[in-house]
Amino acid sequence: MKGVTDRMSAPYTFKLAMDSLWKEKWINLLSALTIATGLLLMAVALSVLYNIQIATRKLPERFVITVFLKEGLTEEKIRDAVSGIKANPKVKSAKYISKDAAMKELKALMKDSDYILEGLDENPLPASVEVGINKEAVSEPSVRAFSDELRAIEGIEDVSYGEKLLSSIQAIKSGAEGIGALVIIILSAGITFVCYSTVKILFYRKKDEIETLQLLGATKGFIRAPFVLEGGLIGLAGGLAALSGIAGLKYLISIKLASLVPVLQSFAYPSAVAVYLPVAGLFVGLLGALIAIGRLRF
Amino acid sequence: MIEFHGVTKAYENSTALRNLSFLIEKGEMVFITGPSGAGKSTMLKLMYMAERPDEGRIVINGTEIETLGDSDIPYLRRNIGVVFQDFRLLPRKTAFDNVALALRIRGMGESDIKPLVNETLKMVNLRHKTDSLPAALSGGEQQRVVIARAIVSEPAIVLADEPTGNLDPDTSSGIMRILKEINARGTTIVIATHNRELLKDTGRRILRLDGGNLLERGD
Ligand SMILES: Nc1ncnc2c1ncn2[C@@H]1O[C@H](COP(=O)(O)OP(=O)(O)O)[C@@H](O)[C@H]1O
Ligand SMILES: [Mg+2]
Repeated sequence: MKGVTDRMSAPYTFKLAMDSLWKEKWINLLSALTIATGLLLMAVALSVLYNIQIATRKLPERFVITVFLKEGLTEEKIRDAVSGIKANPKVKSAKYISKDAAMKELKALMKDSDYILEGLDENPLPASVEVGINKEAVSEPSVRAFSDELRAIEGIEDVSYGEKLLSSIQAIKSGAEGIGALVIIILSAGITFVCYSTVKILFYRKKDEIETLQLLGATKGFIRAPFVLEGGLIGLAGGLAALSGIAGLKYLISIKLASLVPVLQSFAYPSAVAVYLPVAGLFVGLLGALIAIGRLRF
Repeated sequence: MIEFHGVTKAYENSTALRNLSFLIEKGEMVFITGPSGAGKSTMLKLMYMAERPDEGRIVINGTEIETLGDSDIPYLRRNIGVVFQDFRLLPRKTAFDNVALALRIRGMGESDIKPLVNETLKMVNLRHKTDSLPAALSGGEQQRVVIARAIVSEPAIVLADEPTGNLDPDTSSGIMRILKEINARGTTIVIATHNRELLKDTGRRILRLDGGNLLERGD
């Protein structure tokens, strides 16, 4: 057998894969579209998660705790209380608001109806300190512990923060993350399964041909390679279709829908992630094909 | 080249071959004959490892086939060209591509493949049918494509299962001439046939099978 070598012929493998893609074009098209739909849903789920992340990440920066001071404290006592607050390592900023400043703020807030306040002979508003805390400390249990620490400082009457708000945001965030993760896992498994089944169908439809190739002396690698390549290409096609789908969806939301639903205007698109859709498609395609090929006995 | 030592092969409900022992030397051309169902095809299938023996030893080209793993089989098969009884041509591929397949599975490059395939198709007198699909070829032409595929890689052994099948006498003798030609080049050839005409005046060794038993070893 002169000139007969034992390397795999990459161009021929590619040709076999292309032939098969074309021969079974309807099955392949349907699979690619199914994969595209799955990837699209995954991208939407990721985008929603991404936006929830952004929203909850901004929150700690705005989060303030209001510390009310006792009535009739001397200037010195007030200074002591404020520096006591600042001494806590969780505190990022502490801004003292005097009784007068509080009243001014209230008046500014009420603008045209500030005459209501004219009748008061005594300022009923307490002096307070607006405390900003380090991002890492913004969680329900940590804030509760922190406010107990503040209450222990002399001259402090009460501490107020949005307990309800804080805990419900926390719940939304972890709920969304859980559901998002579940959706992504189910969809990944689903997409991989579509690739797996497609390759398996393609394989069984060529069973006779494969048997002949084996009898002629083809190795398993030679027989398998076109199927793996084909699975990868179907996945890649699905990924590209999903990419154009997501681009269309973005256009629809940001241009057409956002004018109707204003909240959508601030929707953030993780565009950098979208370019990975074809890569993800290729990956699940190859994975599905490899599982299918690995499980086949021939 | 081919050794059977006490080989027995049974299918679910019948014993196809019983305690078979024989040797085929390098460069021989041997006929296996016997009535339909005698076990001729099974014998060839054992040689190209489409079936494994239940008992006994088979040695092909110096290799004890029992010692071969699944991944070794392709490489041993590359020493063997098979003319299948049912042809096994790929229906969507041209005569050229069907023959070229035997070289492509070996990883040979297209530039080497082309002259080899064309030369072989010329040898079986099918140069003008290079681009025809199997369905567009007559039975005799298909048979010659199968022979071309079996010999294009110049294997040490060619196994032919009913190579003259239902062909007319003229076509049959044309095919036998091709097989004799490659045997003359040193290729070991085993031909299974139920056609008595082929055996007349061959001067070659004939193994007669009946009901899975070897009646006559011819040596
Ligand atoms: N795949 C198979 N499964 C079950 N029985 C088989 C199979 N192949 C052959 N046989 C049986 O084995 C015997 C020998 O068959 P075969 O080798 O094809 O004979 P021949 O080629 O001489 O006509 C027959 O009885 C046949 O029915
Ligand atoms: Mg037979």
